[in-house]
Amino acid sequence: MFDLKLKVLVVDDFPTMRRIVKNLLKQLGFENIDEAEDGNMALNKMKSGNYGLVVSDWNMSNMEGIELLRSVRADDTLKETPFLMVTAEAEKEKVIEAIKAGVDNYIVKPFTAEILKEKLEKIADKRPSLKAGG
Amino acid sequence: MADEMDEIINEFVTEAEETLERIDPLFIELETKGYNKDLLNEIFRGMHTLKGAAGFLGFQPIVDVAHRSESIMKKVRDGEIQMTTPLMDVILKSVDALRLLISHIRVKDGVEEDVSALLKEQDSALENATTGQAAEKEKIAEAALAAEVKEDASKEAAIEKPAPVEPKVEAAESEKTHAPEHAAAQQKPHVQTITPPADDTAQQASKEKDVVANLRVDVSRIDKVMDLAGEIVLARNRLLNIASRLDVVHSGDPLVENLSETTAFLDRVTSDLQLAVMKMRMQPIQKVFGKFPRMVRDLARNLGKDIDLEIFGEDTEVDKSVIENIGDPLVHIIRNSIDHGLEFSDERVAKGKPPKGRIVISAFQKGTLIVIEVVDDGKGIDLEVVKRKAINRGLITEEESLKMSEDAIVNLIFLPGFSTKEVSTELSGRGVGMDVVKTNVAKLNGYVEVITKKDVGSTFRISLPLTLAILQAMMIKVGKEVYAVPQSMVEETIRIKKEEIKDIAGQKVLTIRDRVLPMYDMATVLGVKNVVDEGRDFTYILVMVVGDRRFCISVDELIGQEEVVIKTINGIDSDECGILGATITGDGTVVLIIDLAVMARGLFAGSSK
Repeated sequence: MFDLKLKVLVVDDFPTMRRIVKNLLKQLGFENIDEAEDGNMALNKMKSGNYGLVVSDWNMSNMEGIELLRSVRADDTLKETPFLMVTAEAEKEKVIEAIKAGVDNYIVKPFTAEILKEKLEKIADKRPSLKAGG
Repeated sequence: MADEMDEIINEFVTEAEETLERIDPLFIELETKGYNKDLLNEIFRGMHTLKGAAGFLGFQPIVDVAHRSESIMKKVRDGEIQMTTPLMDVILKSVDALRLLISHIRVKDGVEEDVSALLKEQDSALENATTGQAAEKEKIAEAALAAEVKEDASKEAAIEKPAPVEPKVEAAESEKTHAPEHAAAQQKPHVQTITPPADDTAQQASKEKDVVANLRVDVSRIDKVMDLAGEIVLARNRLLNIASRLDVVHSGDPLVENLSETTAFLDRVTSDLQLAVMKMRMQPIQKVFGKFPRMVRDLARNLGKDIDLEIFGEDTEVDKSVIENIGDPLVHIIRNSIDHGLEFSDERVAKGKPPKGRIVISAFQKGTLIVIEVVDDGKGIDLEVVKRKAINRGLITEEESLKMSEDAIVNLIFLPGFSTKEVSTELSGRGVGMDVVKTNVAKLNGYVEVITKKDVGSTFRISLPLTLAILQAMMIKVGKEVYAVPQSMVEETIRIKKEEIKDIAGQKVLTIRDRVLPMYDMATVLGVKNVVDEGRDFTYILVMVVGDRRFCISVDELIGQEEVVIKTINGIDSDECGILGATITGDGTVVLIIDLAVMARGLFAGSSK
């Protein structure tokens, strides 16, 4: 199981999507969920708060997910933050870009709580910080 | 539980509609500007977002339509295909379809539109646009990418091949019923939301400050605050009144001076409060103007006319009720201008005009009025044709037509059942005419003017008060009662000698600065008894301007100007009885506010028969 006390940051510029992703995370038992509406805001939030997981959309008007990922990985204090990229079918071909930029995993819209759980488990295998008691 | 899902769906509908509203004008911009990566990106992103959320909510037709639109936009953005007019038509059709699909979700009518024809159209449009060679290239590129992904995927054990999307959609759909059960219910108003007007600037600011500066608030809550602010205004007016009377009786008393100071302060704060609440209801008129580029384009294309549209002042803020009610009148005016006003290119060239017709829509604030203008450089309104038509339709008599001023003739077009074209086209002939313009604008306490010149063009000018809740009123006394009339329609107030009133063919008239104006007696109009001493040799006159009709009304007394809060009276129809509402004045009396637009209609209808 995951450390459900971890602070999770949901990044998406479409409020409905943030709400959906938040709901799915809540279903998995996460309680501490914060949101940001674009990459810039996410980065600022991450710098001032201690986030244990980022679930970010790729396509955003103000700093795309991929840029956010690169900025996170380039920041000494943030670079170890687990990062799950939410993509659409159309962006599949770009996933390789995300892998190169150091994404932990990616998930294709639309997804269920089950699929989200699987993805997070895969991340947790590599990043003990995400595990309960880890 | 089910509520949570309802809320998410409601939220989705609102946002989806906003998204479509935002990208709709971009298409037209795209068509005029040609290839523009930023615009394409924005449209692509909108479609993309819509598809993503719809997928989660199981709205498959939306996913299908948005997906194909997104693919088209993507290919155009990446320069793989050219944006052509047929392609644009398909995309615009798709936007309309999306809007329709979303509206079904909004009203929860359970109607399932068949989008298969549109999907086929999208597919074939894309196919036609993609030349064989380009398609070939793309396939190779795709294959290469796929291989690369595979290769990389094997390197990076964590990443696996994305599962096909189909079963997931089903999963999401079945989840729809279960998912919300686990989620904590969040209270959010979902009836009707308004976006704060400073959306763009607020977003700008949030970029820098990283603070969510926007808040969605239920309209009914704002209206409640508005209502309460109105009550405070009424109380303030009474206080001011009492304080000034006390000041007269006990001037010099320090307590009274204190009271005056405090009420003066309260006066200022209340005005600020009123303004602040008013602003909360204001939204940029862009919300209405946004759909015009598309509309003008479609009309122009249908009619085979070449039209340039310019829009100014779309950031002018107006009350929410204006946003809701001004759309239809403007659509009618613009349709009218395109259909009847603007000439075809060859006709224009023959007249020495540029071949492209021009329509300028603008909005601006002028004092306490919001002015919206639609200007075209077409052939203008032919007064002779209008006159003939009105006579043929029995709206006026031959004899009346001779006496009518040009202004009055132009205004005939607003009469119900009037149409200047022999054969109405599909556009203008929808059973509703320009009378809708007048009625809707009058509902907003505004008026319409038409300025037209042969072969130069026509201007339709709509003037509206800034807010509907507060009215600058002229207080008058007729008989024993005090009444309020909207100040915006009072051009001037004068005192005249009764002997100045003349009688021409049974109509009382008054000559003011060489202009002969019809005069009516308010007491007669209202049907109240005149209690003023008949022996008085003078009377007070209000020179009224309603639309571009000018007339005089005699009243018993002029009391003065006051800012009144309009309270609607339940159970009466303002259109019927000519009473706009009521207000409570400084001294605590209830005063009826007279709807001059209705009154004028009654007066002139009576006089033309």
